[in-house]
Amino acid sequence: MKQKRAISPVKRRRMLISNVQAYTFMIPNLILFICCSLYPVIWTLRFVFYQYSGLGTAAPRWVGLANLERVFRDAVYWKSVVNTFVYGFGKVIIILPIAFILALLLSKQRKGNGILQSVMFLPTIMSSAVMGLVFYLLFNAYNGEINVILMKLGVISRPINWLGRDHAMQTLIITAVWGGLGNYMVYFIAGLQQVSKDALESAQIDGANAVQTVWYITLPMLGPILKIILMLSITTAFHDITNVMVLTEGGPTNATMVMALYGYQYFFPVSATTSILPQYGYGAAVSVVSAVIAGIVTLIYLAISKKLDEVY
Amino acid sequence: MNGAAIQTRNRKSVRTTRAVGTALKIIFLTVMVVFTLYPIIYTVLGSLKSNAELTSGGSFFPKEWLFENYKTAFIQADFKTYTKNSVITSGITTILATVTCAMAGFILARKQFVGKKLWLSLYMAMMFVSLGSVTLYPIYELLRSVGLHKSIWGLTFALCGGQASNVLLVMGFTKGIPRELDEAATIDGCTIYGIFFKVVLPLIKPILAVVALFAFRNSWNDYVTTLIMTITNPKLQTLTVAVVQLKYSVNAAAEWHIMLAGASIAIIPILIVYALANKQFIAGLTAGAVKG
Repeated sequence: MKQKRAISPVKRRRMLISNVQAYTFMIPNLILFICCSLYPVIWTLRFVFYQYSGLGTAAPRWVGLANLERVFRDAVYWKSVVNTFVYGFGKVIIILPIAFILALLLSKQRKGNGILQSVMFLPTIMSSAVMGLVFYLLFNAYNGEINVILMKLGVISRPINWLGRDHAMQTLIITAVWGGLGNYMVYFIAGLQQVSKDALESAQIDGANAVQTVWYITLPMLGPILKIILMLSITTAFHDITNVMVLTEGGPTNATMVMALYGYQYFFPVSATTSILPQYGYGAAVSVVSAVIAGIVTLIYLAISKKLDEVY
Repeated sequence: MNGAAIQTRNRKSVRTTRAVGTALKIIFLTVMVVFTLYPIIYTVLGSLKSNAELTSGGSFFPKEWLFENYKTAFIQADFKTYTKNSVITSGITTILATVTCAMAGFILARKQFVGKKLWLSLYMAMMFVSLGSVTLYPIYELLRSVGLHKSIWGLTFALCGGQASNVLLVMGFTKGIPRELDEAATIDGCTIYGIFFKVVLPLIKPILAVVALFAFRNSWNDYVTTLIMTITNPKLQTLTVAVVQLKYSVNAAAEWHIMLAGASIAIIPILIVYALANKQFIAGLTAGAVKG
């Protein structure tokens, strides 16, 4: 049998002091981390198996897998999942090419480019809630400035109901593009700085034009960073909630309900005018399933990008 | 055709493609700048218009510059209180986030201690497990159980959040600072506290600036967390929440000018911070995302 190495009392004391010192540095953040990150996640995972309507009502009741079963049968939830994908892909497909072109144009060290970069980045520091309210006014069907301008220009003859059933998702995507474009431009600029200047120069000497250089040299060399960018764009799109809450509240009749908001509404009222009774257990189940879906999408994406790496 | 003629023609076509390229570039950039700035300019100029002018789709500039809108917002809609709340919560959150991240990031980069691996893996796990805003409910119940759910301290605590990714960011940055400096300081008789305050802290200032900037922006702009934490005490609402709540007021249709004045009050401070520190904002984004 292996014997425990004897530790001298002096050494043990020194180790104890060293640990206590370490924890005096850790404790402030650990309090925040445990209370605001760890505990809430454990709480939510636990309540997936309970039925509970909040303080002052009946005590939490164990219901096993009933909540999860209900999630899989909930047609509105799966509609919200589809909406999330429509929203996420719509946003990414519009943002990435525009952000890439902007990065190409603005990454050169030239007078004015710094200012233009700062201007394009500006929306990303603004509150998406406050700007959601502004967009709510701008896209208003009757008095909104967007309709007024489009009608003056003769693009449309009748006001468009931007926040109505048919257009609400498009409007939401436009505002999301507005708010996120700057981030992706900056990611691309960071990536472009890692593209080797020699390769670009030799391509130019060989007579490649600007479009060819971008397509055959810059884009392939962006590979690794493009992966991070795509990854970020997928995961952030799953979590955008403020924008949806303020602009459309998930409506009209769930046309813009996304999965993050769907879980939320079982915990808190989405707006001052809606009232669904809280169902914490079911809300927890919805959120956990949504997190798993987001995780699966990320894994699929990683697997595909690995395959692509092997091909090239 | 002789060679010289072909050359001039080629040169001409090169010149025209280049001109077309430049024109397209300018058009594209102009469209993007208008798209980006229009909502912001609309907010600021709209905040000076009358409600009638706003809702009838008037001209670009206000017919009359109604600075009273701000007065109405500050006094009647009580934006005075909300501004105070915003300043207090954002200020404290920024300090809390920076101090705690600096301490934890430093010790994780420099020392071995019992449980370090466990905490590190939990920090990483929490960055990837994202259950969204529903986790605010357990936080709210927790604050309620200690009687902080109606105080500005509870709100600030929830706004600061776990800061897992920022701790890891500071840790990564601290690892880049040579350990020899610590050792030299130890030989000179510095304790671990001395090393932290005198050696490492001055050197990790750049990353702490990033943490502070983003903590400030996040809590100033936050909507969902603040909304939930002020459910039982609306007096604690911040500017962002108070402005959006105007949307649900009884006479919302007659208050567009107040909404826009409120929105301007909420965005102008962040615009000023951005004007002073836009380089840091842009650099901070890539520090967090690409390298981290």
